[in-house]
Amino acid sequence: MVFSSLLFLFIFLPAVLLVYHLSPKRIRNVILFIASLIFYAWGEPIYIALMLFSTCTDYVFGLLLDGEKRSEAARKWILTASVIVNLGVLGFFKYADFLIGNVNALFDTNIPPTDLPLPIGISFYTFQSMSYIFDVYRRTAKAQRNWLDFATFVALFPQLVAGPIVRYNTIAEQLRERFVNNEIFAEGVRRFTIGLAKKVLLANNIGLLWNEISAGHLNTMPVLTAWLGIIAFAFQIYFDFSGYSDMAIGLGLMFGFRFNENFNKPYTAQSITDFWRRWHISLGTWFREYVYIPLGGNRRGLLIQLRNILIVWALTGIWHGASWNFLFWGLYFGTVLIIEKWFALELLSKLPRWLRHSYALLLILIGWVFFAFDKLPDMTAYFGAMFGANGSPLWDQQTIYLLYTNAILLLLLIVASMQRPRGVQADGTLLHPIVTLIWHGVLFLVSVAYLVDATFNPFLYFRF
Amino acid sequence: MKKVMDGFYTWGFLSLLGIISALFFLLPKSAFSETENRNLQEAPKLSGERLWSKQFADDSELFVTDHFPFRSDWVRAKSTMEQLRLQKENNGIYLGKDGYLFEKFGEPDFEELGNYADAIRQFADNHPNADVKLLLSPNSVGVYPERLPWKAAAYPQAIVHDFIEDRLGNDVAFLDGFDFFKTANSPEEKRELFYKTDHHWTSYGAYLAYKAYASDMGWKPLTEEEFHIRTLTDSFLGSYHTRGQFGSAKPESIEVYEPKNKVHSEMYIADTDTTKDSLYDESYLAKKDKYGYFQGGVHALVTVKTDLAPDQVDLDKLLIVKDSYAHSMLPFLTNHVKEIHMIDIRFYNGNIGDYMEQNGIDDALLLFNTSTFVGERSLLKLKY
Repeated sequence: MVFSSLLFLFIFLPAVLLVYHLSPKRIRNVILFIASLIFYAWGEPIYIALMLFSTCTDYVFGLLLDGEKRSEAARKWILTASVIVNLGVLGFFKYADFLIGNVNALFDTNIPPTDLPLPIGISFYTFQSMSYIFDVYRRTAKAQRNWLDFATFVALFPQLVAGPIVRYNTIAEQLRERFVNNEIFAEGVRRFTIGLAKKVLLANNIGLLWNEISAGHLNTMPVLTAWLGIIAFAFQIYFDFSGYSDMAIGLGLMFGFRFNENFNKPYTAQSITDFWRRWHISLGTWFREYVYIPLGGNRRGLLIQLRNILIVWALTGIWHGASWNFLFWGLYFGTVLIIEKWFALELLSKLPRWLRHSYALLLILIGWVFFAFDKLPDMTAYFGAMFGANGSPLWDQQTIYLLYTNAILLLLLIVASMQRPRGVQADGTLLHPIVTLIWHGVLFLVSVAYLVDATFNPFLYFRF
Repeated sequence: MKKVMDGFYTWGFLSLLGIISALFFLLPKSAFSETENRNLQEAPKLSGERLWSKQFADDSELFVTDHFPFRSDWVRAKSTMEQLRLQKENNGIYLGKDGYLFEKFGEPDFEELGNYADAIRQFADNHPNADVKLLLSPNSVGVYPERLPWKAAAYPQAIVHDFIEDRLGNDVAFLDGFDFFKTANSPEEKRELFYKTDHHWTSYGAYLAYKAYASDMGWKPLTEEEFHIRTLTDSFLGSYHTRGQFGSAKPESIEVYEPKNKVHSEMYIADTDTTKDSLYDESYLAKKDKYGYFQGGVHALVTVKTDLAPDQVDLDKLLIVKDSYAHSMLPFLTNHVKEIHMIDIRFYNGNIGDYMEQNGIDDALLLFNTSTFVGERSLLKLKY
């Protein structure tokens, strides 16, 4: 199930909210857990078993790690075993076919691919579950003795499918004790509505522009069309992802959970270093906490630091998908970050603000080209179009059509990407509260209209 | 103030979800959607197996969306929003000038298109005694590109026609819609060749195609004066309207050409094993899809027998392999042909060459519109 579906909004969510809030406190985790399983099973019933398997093994590993008298050596072995199990499952389901494909290409072998569908949310819940193991290993968290509380943490449906990656430490307390009042619930409603509108109104519509442009002839595409396309893609991916995070955070609040923020206006960044502090924050934090710092971070000399940065960014890249272009995308950002640390940040600080901003946006957009194309010839053709290497004119008739029919949407996207003007609070309290309320109501209803339309499926004898 | 507002948010949100949810469960469910022209999803059945196979999940998803309260109002609201943001298209339909709606037409896959043309050529080569013609009508978007929204582009259908004509060679006669529409498409000629809100040609468009085909066959086509032209309805909003949901679209009329010198035809529909006394189905005029008046919708195989006097007969037997453009042209042909067999290539699974031999047919007319033709994989069946 996804949040942006009518079934979720008008059947699943009201039912769960009703049952949850009418139940006594001690069984609320059971209800959340069951609801999460139903939510998950909707997409792929079989993979429930996989999620429960991960949950059970890490529950046991957590208990083993927590033993007061256990030797450090033993705890290291337990940690290693847990990491192997978690990465083994993730690796098998997410990366096996990628490896097989490469091995076949390289050694001319004929190993059949597994052709298994990717279990929904596996990258997210595996990382959550691993964060628990790491926290217990470092004794920054106590092992969870209550299996159900732990299972609820892993399966929690608001962030199960697309994050944010909630680290165990963040919500260990809340799993035991949390409460909701009107104020918290209302905040959740606002957050959810904003997220829904971002996903349904902004991301989906600008996505149509990207689809149209990327399906065109890359070898004859005019320069401006190519830039318009990648800008559309940048907006689509940001509003899709951050919209989903907003919905997750909003839903969390409706059940009394407070998750960490995942995005902070990434397209206002002044450098790539700045961008990665604002983009998919929960993933960046995860890699910093559990990979970069344990590897020695920046405390063991420049060479080690360089190595660590490259490792982290190769992993970040490949985490996004089992394909070379994601690895490349990660290493691209790793390299830029190294250059920025080395000298570029200092140089940038001397430049005017708009120039720093343009620099960051340019590098981000180039990054999205790596991200968007998993076939090298398409990627190079698209770069060729962006930089006029294909000899096409600057723009053509289609460029103008696409630009003016999307002008208002693009304007909205730019405004929504910008920093709030000083004095306006997160909930827009500079405006009269009733205006804000109406605004949120309209956003919700219009989003529903777009959701209904997406299922509008006339069978028109169209092809007869 | 903040407290009060928070209450509004909380209870407003909950009641909105609750009310829509309740309406969904309480409102009566219809089994068929007139606008969408299809059966709606039935209530999902629960069973262990259906749960496991995801069937239950998929069905319930569809069940909720298909029966969502005030569904068509939401869809219209979305279309209005799209126009407010200056978008000139909705669900793949352009909002053109002069009240015209157009279907998008992009560059076709020429390799695939070449295969279709080759299949037709192969068909002609396999039946050297048969006279095979292809009549290809462009769509409104091909004929009136100047009526597209400002700066919107459609791939020129004329290029597609030229490509097909070249590829067919000399074995298959090619009747190009661009030729027989050209004379009628002059500015002073105000008559519509296509419906503004539907993907079909008008009866006038079909008449011009008939005239071209009849002349090509060496027959003497009836002039317009030899028909009573009768308006069937003024409230037709066709398939482009259904898809695009543009509120500004105006209903238009459908005409039928009834020859003054009446010819009686009997239509046998093989799909349902029924025989009808008429080529028309009045009941469709009360429905959304009013073009269905012609021939009563789509059938895989139809045979029409006419009671032409022997001196009126120009041809004994004709096979038409077609899409729905043929439905409004068929009545014209009954003034010349004694027996017409019509096959919809999508649904007819037999061998068409065999069918011609078994029925002793020597003349075949392939009749398609460009938009259908470029994506009609079943044309490849003609090879065998």
